[in-house]
Amino acid sequence: MIQPYIILILGYIFGFYMAWNIGANDVANSMASSVAAKAITIRQAIFLAGILNVLGAVFIGSHVTNTIRKGIVSTEIMTDPHVALIGALSALIAAALWVSFATWKSLPVSTTHSIVGSMIGFGIMAGGFSVINWGKLLAVVLSWIVSPLFSIVIAFIIFKIIVRLILSRKNAFNQALKFSPLFVGITLFVVILSFLFKTPFGERLAIGSQTALAVAALLAILLGLAASAALKHYLKKKELDAEAVFKRIQVGTACYVALAQGANDVANAVGPLAVIYFLVKTGSVGAKVPVPVFLLFFGGIGIACGIAMAGNRVMETMGKKITTLSNTRGFSVDFATATTVLVASKMGLPVSTTHAAVGGVLGVGLARGMEAINFGIVFKIMVYWILTVPVAALTSMIIFKILQFIF
Amino acid sequence: MRIPFFSMFMTSPFEGLQEHAEKVKECAWAFQQAIECHLANKCQTFEEFRQEVIQLEKKADAIKRRIRGHLPKGTLMPVYNFQLFRYLREQDAVIDAVEDALDWISFRSEPGIPPELEKEFVILADAVIDPIEELSKMVAEARKYFKNYSEDQRMIVKNIIRTLRQQEHEADKAEDVVKQKVLNMNIDAVTVFHMVRLAEIIGSIADHAENAGDMMRAMIAR
Repeated sequence: MIQPYIILILGYIFGFYMAWNIGANDVANSMASSVAAKAITIRQAIFLAGILNVLGAVFIGSHVTNTIRKGIVSTEIMTDPHVALIGALSALIAAALWVSFATWKSLPVSTTHSIVGSMIGFGIMAGGFSVINWGKLLAVVLSWIVSPLFSIVIAFIIFKIIVRLILSRKNAFNQALKFSPLFVGITLFVVILSFLFKTPFGERLAIGSQTALAVAALLAILLGLAASAALKHYLKKKELDAEAVFKRIQVGTACYVALAQGANDVANAVGPLAVIYFLVKTGSVGAKVPVPVFLLFFGGIGIACGIAMAGNRVMETMGKKITTLSNTRGFSVDFATATTVLVASKMGLPVSTTHAAVGGVLGVGLARGMEAINFGIVFKIMVYWILTVPVAALTSMIIFKILQFIF
Repeated sequence: MRIPFFSMFMTSPFEGLQEHAEKVKECAWAFQQAIECHLANKCQTFEEFRQEVIQLEKKADAIKRRIRGHLPKGTLMPVYNFQLFRYLREQDAVIDAVEDALDWISFRSEPGIPPELEKEFVILADAVIDPIEELSKMVAEARKYFKNYSEDQRMIVKNIIRTLRQQEHEADKAEDVVKQKVLNMNIDAVTVFHMVRLAEIIGSIADHAENAGDMMRAMIAR
C-alpha cells in the first residue's frame, strides 16, 4: 500500500502550506498594534512572533486540535479509512486554497473558519448532512458574534481603567509605574493559567484547577512585582510619560498574543494532518486522538516560516497606515485579543484571532480612545466571515470528488 | 495584505481640523498686511493680499468639505461628529469673515477709511488677529488631550478657550469705539454706513473665534 503514504506526504505539504498562510496572514493580528505603536521594530516583531508561535503551538496547542478534528464532523465517517484519508486531505487543500485566494485578493477571512468550513464540506460529501454536528456548528456561528464582542468588552474595560487610574491623573508617569504590577500581573495570570489547563505540560504536572488558579495567581503576583521593579529601575532615571511605561509592557502583551495565536491557530493546519497521520500509522482513527507533539512543532515551524517570509511586507504597510495607535491603546488591544483567544480556545470554541483583534480595536474606539475608527467596516468584514464557511465547504466538496476520482 | 485590521483605521478628521486651523492662521497675517496697506497712503498691494486671503479661503473650504465628506456613519471618535462639524463651521466662519472684511473694503476703496478713524481701525484689526492665531494652538492642544486624557492637558485647552473669550471682549470694545466715533462724525451717510458695517464684520471675526472656543469646550467636556 503506497497510496496512503502519498496522501500523507501531500498532507504534510499542504499542512505546511496552510501553516505558512496562517503565519503570513495573521502576523498582523498579533504584532500590528505593537509595531504601529513603535514598541518593537519590524525585525523584532518577526523574530518574537516566530518563536512564540512555535512555543504556543507546542505547549498550549493540543487541546484545540482535538476539538476541530472531531467536533463538528461526527467520527462515523472516519470508519472508512480511505474516505477519511481523502476527506482530511481535501479539507486541508480547500482551506489552504481559500486562504491563499483571500490573501491575494485582500479579503478579510479567518483561517480557523476556513478549516471548519472545509471539514464540513468533506463531512457532507462522505456521510450526508446527518454527520454534521449542528450544535458545534452553531458554536462556530456564535463565535462570529461572541469572540469580537468579548474582545470589545475587554478592550473597552481595560482602556477605561487605564484612563481612570493613570492617564487622567496628575503625574501619569508615576501612576503608570505604580499600577504596572497590576497590568503585568493580570497578563501573566491568564498566560500561566492557559499553560496549566489542558495542555500536555499542565497534565504532566497533574494539578487540580484550584491549585492551578492558586499557582497562577501566586506566580503572576511575584512576576508582576518583579517586572514592575525592573521597570522602575530602568525608567526612573529619565522623566517620561505614561506611554513610555506601556511601551515596555506592550512588548510583553505582543508576545502574549503571538503565544495565544500559535496555540489557537496551529490546529487549523495540524488538525486534518493529524487525522491523516493516524490513519496511515494505525489504519483507523479512534474517538480520541492525541496529537503528537512533533506535528504541533511542525505546524508551529510552518507558521514561523510564513511570518518570516511575509511579515515584512505586512508590517511595513501597517506602520504607514496605523499612525494613531499609542502604547496604552496597543496594550488594551493586545490584551483583549489574547485573552479572548486563549479563553475561547480553552473552552474548545473555534475562535479566530482576526475576529478578536478586530474586536479589540473597536473596543478601544468605543472607549473614545482613538481619533477615528471606522465602525461601519465591521459589517463588511462580517460578510466575509460568514462567506468563509460555505465557500470553504464547497471547495472542499469539489476537491473531495476530484481526489476520490484520482485515488 | 489583510484588510480587517487596516481598514478600521481611517485618516483622522482631527488632522484635517488642524490643517484647516493652519489655513485660518495664515490668513491672519495676510489680513493684517492688507489692512495696514489700505491705511497707508499709496497702497499698491491691498488687492494682492485680498487675493491671497481668497485663495486661502478656497483651500480651507476644500479641507472642510474633505473632512465632512470622509466621516462615514459609524465613525468612532473621541467626540460626537456633530460637535466636530459645529466646531468646523465656526472655524470656517472665521476665515469667511476675514474675506468678507477685505471684500467690503474693496467695494469702496476710494475714499477708504477716513484719516480720523485710522487709529481706531488699527486697534480693532490688531484685536482680532490674536484670536485667529490662537485657534491652531487650541486644536493642537486638544489633540494632545484626546491622546492622554490628562487633567493638566485639559486645563491647558480650557485656558486657551478662556483667553479667546477675553480677546473677543477686547475686540468688542474696539468695535464699539469705532462705531461710536463714526456715528458722531460729520461725514456723508455712505461713508458712515461703510465704516459701521466694516467694524461689525471685523468684530465678527473674533466672535466666530470665540464660538469655536465654546464648541471646543463642549468637545473636551467630560
